[in-house]
Amino acid sequence: MSHTSDTIEAAAVEAATVDLPAHAEAPGRRGLQLPNLTGFILPFIILVLWQTAATYKWIDPVFLPAPLTVVTAFWKMLTKQKLAFDFLASINIVGQAFIYGSAAALLLGIAAGLSRKVEEFFGPTFDTIRHIPGIAWLPLIVLWLGIGAPAKILVIAKSVFFPVFLNTLQGIRNVEKNYIELAKVLTLTRWQLIRKVILPAAMPSIMVSLRYAAGLAWALVVVAEGLSGLEGLGFLIFRAQGLLLTDQLLVCMVIIGLVGFAIDRSMFLAQKRVLKWKQGYDG
Amino acid sequence: MATPGHLTIRNVSKTYSLPGRPLVNVLSRVNLDVEPGAFVTIVGPSGCGKSTLLRLIIGLDYDYKGEIELNDKRIVGTALSRGIVFQDHRLLPWLTLEQNIGLSLENSGWTRAEKDLAVREHIALVGLSGFEKAYPHELSGGMAQRAAIARGLASRPEILLLDEPLGALDALTRIHLQDEIQRIWEVEGVTMILVTHDVEEAVFLSNKVVVMAAKPGRIVETLDIDLPFPRDRADPAFVALKRRILTAMGEDGGKTATRAA
Ligand SMILES: Nc1ncnc2c1ncn2[C@@H]1O[C@H](COP(=O)(O)OP(=O)(O)OP(=O)(O)O)[C@@H](O)[C@H]1O
Ligand SMILES: [Mg+2]
Repeated sequence: MSHTSDTIEAAAVEAATVDLPAHAEAPGRRGLQLPNLTGFILPFIILVLWQTAATYKWIDPVFLPAPLTVVTAFWKMLTKQKLAFDFLASINIVGQAFIYGSAAALLLGIAAGLSRKVEEFFGPTFDTIRHIPGIAWLPLIVLWLGIGAPAKILVIAKSVFFPVFLNTLQGIRNVEKNYIELAKVLTLTRWQLIRKVILPAAMPSIMVSLRYAAGLAWALVVVAEGLSGLEGLGFLIFRAQGLLLTDQLLVCMVIIGLVGFAIDRSMFLAQKRVLKWKQGYDG
Repeated sequence: MATPGHLTIRNVSKTYSLPGRPLVNVLSRVNLDVEPGAFVTIVGPSGCGKSTLLRLIIGLDYDYKGEIELNDKRIVGTALSRGIVFQDHRLLPWLTLEQNIGLSLENSGWTRAEKDLAVREHIALVGLSGFEKAYPHELSGGMAQRAAIARGLASRPEILLLDEPLGALDALTRIHLQDEIQRIWEVEGVTMILVTHDVEEAVFLSNKVVVMAAKPGRIVETLDIDLPFPRDRADPAFVALKRRILTAMGEDGGKTATRAA
């Protein structure tokens, strides 16, 4: 796979840029006990500007409803419409796509990382498929599977698969030769070598890709639902645009942003937990 | 207590061939007999093949001429009866101290309880009790080297090879760990082969010092050190032996070694 390392680095960089500065709480500051509020300043300013713009009618309320209108719309969508149902539909797709995509990627990534033969077998095919964006697959897959969840799960799982597959493969290939030598000295069996040395050594690289892929999956579900289907947050957004329901559109946008934020934070915490052995690890 | 091994190296030669370059004679007709329970130190200029020789003994490299035998049996591959401590401690960063040491017992065939006991004993032996659950990045360089020594000894090998284990440490820690290694060698009664650039370290620890020269890598002199343990670094006999080894290493090697010491 010739472009392997490019993509890995791109994935790593993207994953790193997803990380907002508010994440990096220096360990030394933990003793302070005060929650770090720095990250809330900007959202507050944006909210104030938004309210001001609405109050003084700088922008037509049809295009930018006031924050309170949006909150009311949220309540209406939740109680009178089926926002919760659409929300869960999106979550369900992302959850399944992430699990299937990353499980397949870990399995094949480990196999390809451990065996050049396996890598050579899959390499050319995967490199070609990889360059057809997931969304470009959607029309065909929808023809096969219909506009329901399975088509979207498949397409998003594909987008999850590649960063995880490539980073797993690369992570395994980059294991220090010294450690392999140590395993030989300690007479570890192949299985012990994989379990105790190779997989843990590849774990940082794997965790970075999982975090990146989780964020990617959430972003893609909105696009996929917008393009096909009759439910989900993505569907609601595009429907709201068509009906000029700007308040509902904003409700969906805020939810998407907050959920994306929550997904990234939890992946970051998972990463930190799994990699707690890494010195000064900050994501 | 481990059964100390008897190591015999007979006529061992080793060449490295790099593509497009002439063959390098890394080791040429090396002969060495290490008595059971002896402490032998190898000194010599950089590149004379000391690490290569250890790699042959530990069984990581079998492309050589001659014979290497442990207790009259030709060594084949790696085995838990031969332990090594690398210059970089090479602890696995994702395992705690006790897991790192436990890793050397995976294939010992011992019971869980026997393994746990060996891990605990060896952590205590190197003075790291209380750090069982620490990760390598939480240990200082000296502590990491102690841990590596504990790992090398935990499976109760017949022979332990140490490749410049103290090379990266500051002078004080090094002297302190030299005392420790001396004590551990006496307690464990295991045959040890140490590679070092530090001539004082060699005289302080060994029964026998082997001086090697480069191009081709060979043994140029073997000195028995008969001073009683523990040794006094200021003792005139000690200093005289140091000088003899420096002379044997030649002007060049001598200067490098004194600077390193
Ligand atoms: N894998 C290899 N391929 C080719 N040449 C090698 C290889 N490993 C070592 N050599 C050569 O063998 C010689 C001896 O190397 P070795 O590492 O044994 O030296 P050393 O005595 O341990 O040196 P130092 O004191 O610097 O550790 C060197 O000239 C080195 O260039
Ligand atoms: Mg060396």
